[in-house]
Amino acid sequence: MVTVPGARPITAPGWTGQPRLDLGLVDCDVHQGIKQPEDLYPYLPRVYREQMIEQGGMRIPGSGYFNVPQNAGRTDLAAANCDATKHSTHKMGNSYEQLRDEHLDLWHVDYALLTGAGVYGASVLPDPDFAAALCRAFNDWTMEHWIARDERLIMAMAVSTSDPRLAVREIERIGADPRVRAIMLPTGNRMPYGNRFYHPIWEACERHGLVIGIHPGNEGAGLAGPPTGVGYPTYYIETRMARPQMAMAHAVSLIAEGVFEKFPRLKVLIDECDQFWAVGLMWHMDADWKSLRDQTPWVKRLPSEYFREHIRVGSQPMLEAANNEQFLCMLDAMHADETLVYSSDWPHWDWDDPATTFPKLPEHLHRRVFADNAREMFGL
Amino acid sequence: MPKHVVATVEEIPPGGRKVVEIAGRSIGVFNLGGDYFALRNRCPHQGGPLCLGKQSGFIHSPLPGEYEYSRQGEILKCPWHSWEFDIRTGQSWFDPARVRVRQYDVTVAPAQALLDREAPAPGLEPGPYVAETYPVTVEQQYIVIDLPG
Repeated sequence: MVTVPGARPITAPGWTGQPRLDLGLVDCDVHQGIKQPEDLYPYLPRVYREQMIEQGGMRIPGSGYFNVPQNAGRTDLAAANCDATKHSTHKMGNSYEQLRDEHLDLWHVDYALLTGAGVYGASVLPDPDFAAALCRAFNDWTMEHWIARDERLIMAMAVSTSDPRLAVREIERIGADPRVRAIMLPTGNRMPYGNRFYHPIWEACERHGLVIGIHPGNEGAGLAGPPTGVGYPTYYIETRMARPQMAMAHAVSLIAEGVFEKFPRLKVLIDECDQFWAVGLMWHMDADWKSLRDQTPWVKRLPSEYFREHIRVGSQPMLEAANNEQFLCMLDAMHADETLVYSSDWPHWDWDDPATTFPKLPEHLHRRVFADNAREMFGL
Repeated sequence: MPKHVVATVEEIPPGGRKVVEIAGRSIGVFNLGGDYFALRNRCPHQGGPLCLGKQSGFIHSPLPGEYEYSRQGEILKCPWHSWEFDIRTGQSWFDPARVRVRQYDVTVAPAQALLDREAPAPGLEPGPYVAETYPVTVEQQYIVIDLPG
């Protein structure tokens, strides 16, 4: 059972009594991170290694918004005695052993998608060659230090979109590896992801069966546009509230530009942007499509049909509805049995554990959300 | 009402804390300026290990852009989702009436009170005392939690 002091045993609804190992658990958002830039040096060309030494870091620009401190990590993962002085030097999420002991084993996770940290936002770096080299180094480091050590781990490889040819080259290099199941991109970028600028990358993803993962990051930083359609907000909480806007912008763009007609086997995972936007998008875009369809005639079906077939929404941060009835209504309206996948966001402070986050779901729906939707998306 | 010896006073200095297991319950003991408080190490939100969270001050504001900081170290933020709790009362900041964490009574007792069943110290009930990993010595002062049966 549970070994973390005070952590809730797995006796929550849907997990009654002993853990229900037969239900399956696939986690679509687990962050692995380097301890320091030096970790990547062995995987980088000499010129970039020396540049990083001179600059003292990866140069991935931040947006300046204030996240919860201590590297956004859960303080309970740092040390049992919770010595605050240790937190400043202990970056959560950079130890495979910790992930194994305090997540995979603890919650009986069958598969976890490693989504990375920092480097997946390389697309907003001005120098496309450096961005590509950084992604390549991070991917090799992830393969060696995480993927090779545990069969439960699968990987969303870091890719920079700034030069699509370089992105395709990296996908060709490692995309056929059965442990690589996705690519990872930030919500903040220069253009929404349906733009045909990106299509060579999507073509390579489809060829290798890789899911396009999109995760908050880099909005308002580097080459990316501001976090909202009306410009730059002031506080971190505003950027969090802007995530559904960014998720909608990318999802609508993918549908409207006909990406799923061109690449009919492509799947898209949108993590950590909440869920309710999916309902509004499907209802609104279906209605508008009936009036405006002839402007984008390559969109041949109801937009919601593309959404339900191709787009998956990560469950974290799971919205807390006023009551369970409303919550289940939302799941019904978003077709959660097709579109919703469990994501923990381990090891961050706003993570969602697999046992207590949801009210009790009908067993069929539980199986879809916690395992089967993700298994089908990744081909597991 | 069983009493549990959980630490010596030296072990939890002002600003310090200790998480202990008593009768299957995880409990955090805090020392705020010489006053001891014990809270259930389980957040009422999602069951996270609240007592392993960061201790901060109470931050409030009279006007946008102005911060007032007080009560340093007396607010506990859960490591899962960062809800704030007042260590002195167990109440949450955003809904003190309804969202609160279980508190337990804490007393400091001299060894004599713990050992002498015939003449317990005032306010302390005679045994059975449960010494949690502590061989009780006569010279020491001990932190004791009352756990309702």
